[in-house]
Amino acid sequence: MRSFGFNNLWLISLLWLYSALLYSQSGEMVRIKGGDYMPFIKGQTDQVLVNSFWIDTKAVTNADYLQFVAANPQWSKSQVKRIFADENYLSHWNLEQEGTGRFAELAPVVNVSWFAAQAYCEWQGKRLPELHEWEFAAKALPVENQFYDSLQRIISDWYSNRLRNNFEVGSLYQNTYGAWDMHGLIWEWVYDFNSITMNDDGRNQEEMPEGLFCGSASLNANDATDYASFVRFAFRTSLKGNYSLRRLGFRCAKTAD
Amino acid sequence: MNKLTSTYKPMLFLGAMALILMASCNSHSNKKGSDVLPLIKGEVVAELTAAPFVPPPIDAKSNTKVVVELEIIERVMRLADGVEYNFWTFGGVVPGKFIRVRQGDLVEFHLHNHPDNMFPHNIDLHAVTGPGGGAEATLIAPGKSAQFSFRALNEGLYVYHCATAPVGMHVANGMYGLILVEPLEGMPPVDHEFYVMQSEFYTTGKFGERGLQEFDMQKALDERPDYVVMNGAVGANTGENAMIVNVGETVRLYLGNGGPNLVSSFHAIGEIFDKVYIEGGSLYTENVQTTLIPAGGSAIVEFKCEVPGTLHLVDHSIFRAFNKGAIAQIKVVGEENYDVFTGLQKETVYLPEGSAIQKVGKERTEAVDEAPVRTLEERMEKGRALYTQNCLACHMDQGRGVPGVFPPLYNSDFLQARDDKGIGIILEGLQGEITVNGNTYNNIMPAMQMSDDNIASVMTYIFNELNNGGGLLQASEVREWREKNQ
Repeated sequence: MRSFGFNNLWLISLLWLYSALLYSQSGEMVRIKGGDYMPFIKGQTDQVLVNSFWIDTKAVTNADYLQFVAANPQWSKSQVKRIFADENYLSHWNLEQEGTGRFAELAPVVNVSWFAAQAYCEWQGKRLPELHEWEFAAKALPVENQFYDSLQRIISDWYSNRLRNNFEVGSLYQNTYGAWDMHGLIWEWVYDFNSITMNDDGRNQEEMPEGLFCGSASLNANDATDYASFVRFAFRTSLKGNYSLRRLGFRCAKTAD
Repeated sequence: MNKLTSTYKPMLFLGAMALILMASCNSHSNKKGSDVLPLIKGEVVAELTAAPFVPPPIDAKSNTKVVVELEIIERVMRLADGVEYNFWTFGGVVPGKFIRVRQGDLVEFHLHNHPDNMFPHNIDLHAVTGPGGGAEATLIAPGKSAQFSFRALNEGLYVYHCATAPVGMHVANGMYGLILVEPLEGMPPVDHEFYVMQSEFYTTGKFGERGLQEFDMQKALDERPDYVVMNGAVGANTGENAMIVNVGETVRLYLGNGGPNLVSSFHAIGEIFDKVYIEGGSLYTENVQTTLIPAGGSAIVEFKCEVPGTLHLVDHSIFRAFNKGAIAQIKVVGEENYDVFTGLQKETVYLPEGSAIQKVGKERTEAVDEAPVRTLEERMEKGRALYTQNCLACHMDQGRGVPGVFPPLYNSDFLQARDDKGIGIILEGLQGEITVNGNTYNNIMPAMQMSDDNIASVMTYIFNELNNGGGLLQASEVREWREKNQ
């Protein structure tokens, strides 16, 4: 029953893939020199040393991801295992309805699970950025407007729904490290998204939300006024590895020598 | 507060007497001694309503399973005229939808976080006995649902809210509502029930600044809201959207305060609360003017609408009401009841400068004195004193008047053209536009409660001293005019 539609889908996909390849400049990375930084959530030591790392300058796009799926059909919509990606996986991919504007080639891919994102990065010889790496890269100010306020402005505009959906990657702002759109476009997976609030292997339900409700949330934070960070950490806490969400995508990273 | 379960625990152990006193933790329970939860029969889906409406009570004789489906939606809506805000809502509305269950019911709660939403959310219902009020059980990412169940053990009116970090931001963006746990037999009948919830909004722009406004964390930390509103927006339930009841009907308001910061001094202008269930609990008091509703708290008030008119529901921290939006209205329609309230019977102007009692309108005072005949000198002397007492404050020294405000009396063409010699002005007052010596005035002079004798003296003074052609007026002429124009 499904096979006819599936074949069609792949034919169209492949055509589209080649056209996408022509102008896609995916996977470009920037090297970020490591250093100490003060993480938002208090740990055993206040300062955290982040080693130098490479990170994609832009989030992975729909076009990028289609190449990955073409090469790895086990990650296609129809073949993916539910334990690795929930029902919402790539739910915005509906080639029959292409042109409705919901599926732009250069828009960041969303509705991808942690497992899928990590598999994509591995396919490229990379990995997902660690939480501290991502936060380290994301705190850099916009090149165009190097005031602390400017980053807050982008975040608050995003939170208050001023920014449109379906921005293309690389369209919002580039920061002083050379990374684009760390805020304002999508939420992004990190390798250890559950490391802050889950203990051990993350199966202990008792401990899971401890840090982020009412009282304890403010006690664990280094800066109680940094609500943007609160929101990011709360968001990560709400995730599970197979979740595929409409506003959640990713970019890849690599350890630097 | 009634509690269904009574937990027995040893309070004292007196070794020698081997006596154990057992005490119930709740002596007021109407189900005293029962430590078994009531049986649940059947299942209903809860009807949820947006403010100011309240769902009907659950129609079932025994306790039942109540399924609540609540969807979290982030959406841009009106905060005030020309002002929009990205609200985070329970059920697409602020305040969140009203939930109504009964004491002893089993509530199966389904919380849905819409896939288009950007943020994780959860719910903490103050009506829940259990960790976090459901918060831990319900933290969900956009596009996910969570389910948990609880027994509604305690009667009362409870706030629910989002408790995801940063909690203040989630509440400040509109994530609160009310859940009523009523007695199994229901609340006493009234003609109308309404749902009103106060809350504040902290925006980057000042009150009324147009456009899509952002949440301002600093103002929230400083507890300096630009908007304090009833039912989620300025004017949500005023004017055309006011709640409407009839004269003689009884009203019950389920009141909540979502905060996040302010405490509400809830007051109805033009009404006295016959009954207030303090803080939404079981204890009530009577005959209350203003009741305090804590942030994250509630109250139930009841009153009967005796007379027609508009009741203004306000936070009596009154700048919030008149400058930040904290007003809702109930329109009471029907027949006047003058035994209770007359409306304006009489309007008088109180001018401490004048000794005569003054009135606005045609109503005239009766002549109260004799009508003696006096000489010009007598009248001028008396008239000077009367002018100083009654006229000087407005018409000024030497009848100069105040340009544009109070007309001059000195050589007044307006006065000289009248054939009543000014008697009618003093007795009836004067209002509306007039032209005096080429200048127009539009003001009110009240009728003066002066005797005929005094009117004769003051007018004689005005004719002579203020250069209006002279003459001597006698009290009998004033009386004559009064009788003719009665």
